[in-house]
Amino acid sequence: MSLMPFASSRPLTLGVELELQLLSCNDYNLVSSAPDILRRLAKSSHPGEIKPEMTRSMIEINTSVQYEYAVLVEELHALREVVTEAGRFLDVAIAGGGTHPFQHWSEQKIFDAPRFHYLSELYGYLAKQFTIFGQHVHIGCPGPDEALHLMHMLSRYIPHFIALSASSPFVQGHDTGFASARLNSVFSFPLSGRAPFVLRWDEFEQFFSKMTGTGVVESMKDFYWDIRPKPEFGTIEVRVCDTPLTVEIAAAIACYIQSMSRYIMVEQRTAPEEDDYLVYTFNRFQACRFGLDGVFVDPRTHERRSIREDINHMLARIGDHARELHATEALERIREILIVGNGTSWLRQTYAREHNLGDVMQLQAELWMGN
Amino acid sequence: MTWSDYLPVWPLAVSPALWLALTLVVAVLVSELMVRHLRWPRIVGYVGIGILLGPGGLSLIPELPAAEWRLVVDLALGILLFELGNRVNLRWLKANPWIAATSLLEATVTFAAVFALLVSFGFTGAAAAVVATIVIATSPAIVVRMVTESRAQGQVTDRLMLMTALNCIYAVIFHKLAVAVMHGETGAEFIHTVLPPLYLLGGSALLAWLFGITFERIHHYLGRHEETFSFVLFGMIAFATIMASTLKLSPILVLLAAGLITRYRRQRSRAFPPHFGSAGAVLVVLMFIATGLAADLAGLRDNFLLVLLLIAVRAAAKLLAVLALANNSGIGLRQAISLGVALTPMSSVALLLTLDTGTVFPGFASGLGLALMSCIVILELVSPFLVQAALRKAGETSERRT
Repeated sequence: MSLMPFASSRPLTLGVELELQLLSCNDYNLVSSAPDILRRLAKSSHPGEIKPEMTRSMIEINTSVQYEYAVLVEELHALREVVTEAGRFLDVAIAGGGTHPFQHWSEQKIFDAPRFHYLSELYGYLAKQFTIFGQHVHIGCPGPDEALHLMHMLSRYIPHFIALSASSPFVQGHDTGFASARLNSVFSFPLSGRAPFVLRWDEFEQFFSKMTGTGVVESMKDFYWDIRPKPEFGTIEVRVCDTPLTVEIAAAIACYIQSMSRYIMVEQRTAPEEDDYLVYTFNRFQACRFGLDGVFVDPRTHERRSIREDINHMLARIGDHARELHATEALERIREILIVGNGTSWLRQTYAREHNLGDVMQLQAELWMGN
Repeated sequence: MTWSDYLPVWPLAVSPALWLALTLVVAVLVSELMVRHLRWPRIVGYVGIGILLGPGGLSLIPELPAAEWRLVVDLALGILLFELGNRVNLRWLKANPWIAATSLLEATVTFAAVFALLVSFGFTGAAAAVVATIVIATSPAIVVRMVTESRAQGQVTDRLMLMTALNCIYAVIFHKLAVAVMHGETGAEFIHTVLPPLYLLGGSALLAWLFGITFERIHHYLGRHEETFSFVLFGMIAFATIMASTLKLSPILVLLAAGLITRYRRQRSRAFPPHFGSAGAVLVVLMFIATGLAADLAGLRDNFLLVLLLIAVRAAAKLLAVLALANNSGIGLRQAISLGVALTPMSSVALLLTLDTGTVFPGFASGLGLALMSCIVILELVSPFLVQAALRKAGETSERRT
């Protein structure tokens, strides 16, 4: 199967996908209620899309194509409203966060759809381990070569997105010490990591047809890359973020990526280099492990600073671009995260106060549902 | 010194408790064998062995004094009822009023159908009403035990527990009223028809509320020490059960309401170990064996048709009521069938209500009461299979093999 042609889309448009946790109101463990929630939502009208995910204790909400922060937040609020309403009707709580702190992977049930059964067959327990919750951000690109350019330039800033959204310190009942333990589950997939360093779409097509020729992959969906092009939408998709604890933070991070993309497309205009990737996995690990306090090594100058500092530098450079995109408020929220901390610090503080992961999960759900 | 000073005399004079202890061992072993080889529910083994070895079966176990096993049943049932109340979220009824509607419809239809059946068999209105109120109740013991055993979770499970808690409350209250009406027929004053249900309701609610407050206080101080806490809780449940019977209130209502009230008042969710620890679990097993020992199928021969019709009509009423409102309340057809079928169990609550009626009206115990006892015995053996199948069909049991 050959690759779909790259659809053109309005540059810097954005779309947000959030994978959400479904919880029992009895013990705040995951509950396999996705079919019930989806059946309930089939009757209601709402913007965007609400879809099943790999296991039955997850659902995914997708916004429609957006451009401005304020409208994006509004749409996410509307989606949150219908999902919360359906949850209340079924006594199911809904929460953000990258992992569930004490669910047992073996108790998860695969959602009844051919693709999920196929993946479950192929990956075995990895599929059930994949009960993790991420945020994906699509950024519209005018053409395929521009998309590859943006993808490789954004790769340098992957640690920013990980550290800002990190909200998965707890796995299987314990504090892992990681800010984002969720990504460790993604890395266990054979086709995870980064896209190959090619800058022209015809080269990318060649790579893709060689890969399909080996029989290892069938479609773009089989690549679990940190950022990947999505030709049918005409976008690139940033996939490293944990689902944040609130929709406002999710929107702020999406618009931070959008403003940065505008800076890359309009102002920066330097070409990506393959050597940029020498520090890629080191920086990414630092972000997963230590969050905003992680070390960031600049791929060009080899300078070391904290990820927090590097985000601060970036905020100073993209302020004008954010203003153009009406995303200034989003950057304010990003500054707030740098001061008060990300979702992981909220979770750790809450756990220190409550001493009980069930209570943490309940508060996390109340935070997401907005009550 | 003679032989008999230090050797036992033949035949051995053993206490009946020895046989009960032996029954416990045999029942648990047989149940485990059935789980491993046939994947049968354990309850069937407990109850079945009780029936087999008890006075109604091979008579290997001499009849125990009713008061002795009544205490075991009361305590174990108290634990299960409190546990059930604790796992039920009453706020859900506000968010989804269709569940409340389903529950009311299910109880009403069950009452009406069984009442009509009994009247058509020529029983008096009052007697028919007493039985029709008793059969409203789904067995909390079988439901809680089956849910725990299969580690079920999901819409059907949650609704099953909520509707079981509610229909037990209806049954106890309206049973009291029906019994009072029966008294009225035998010539009691009007005031003695009205007061019993009111006293029952008010008194039980007060006792349950006090229990709830005490529970919260103790949980606040001891909650972190799970084991110690379960011991205290266990004592409290025993105290409330005995207190309720002393005050002529319903232990069933008190403990169920206490569970519901503590859950309702609590800000945070709490997960307790099944049956609040292993001591509770042993009592629960003993309770099922005791209900087997007390099984009385004497009424089956004379009332075979009536017993079968009672079971069928009651089950059909519950199933149809759930099906009627399934769509509005937000569950699919398969889930509705599962829920309707899973509401079938009848066991200790019905048994206790039947026995209570029998002590007041000896005529009931030897007539309609016997037929009802047969229904209970049959459902104790059959309904665990139904609940198991229903929860599996609904896809709510754990996929891991136990």
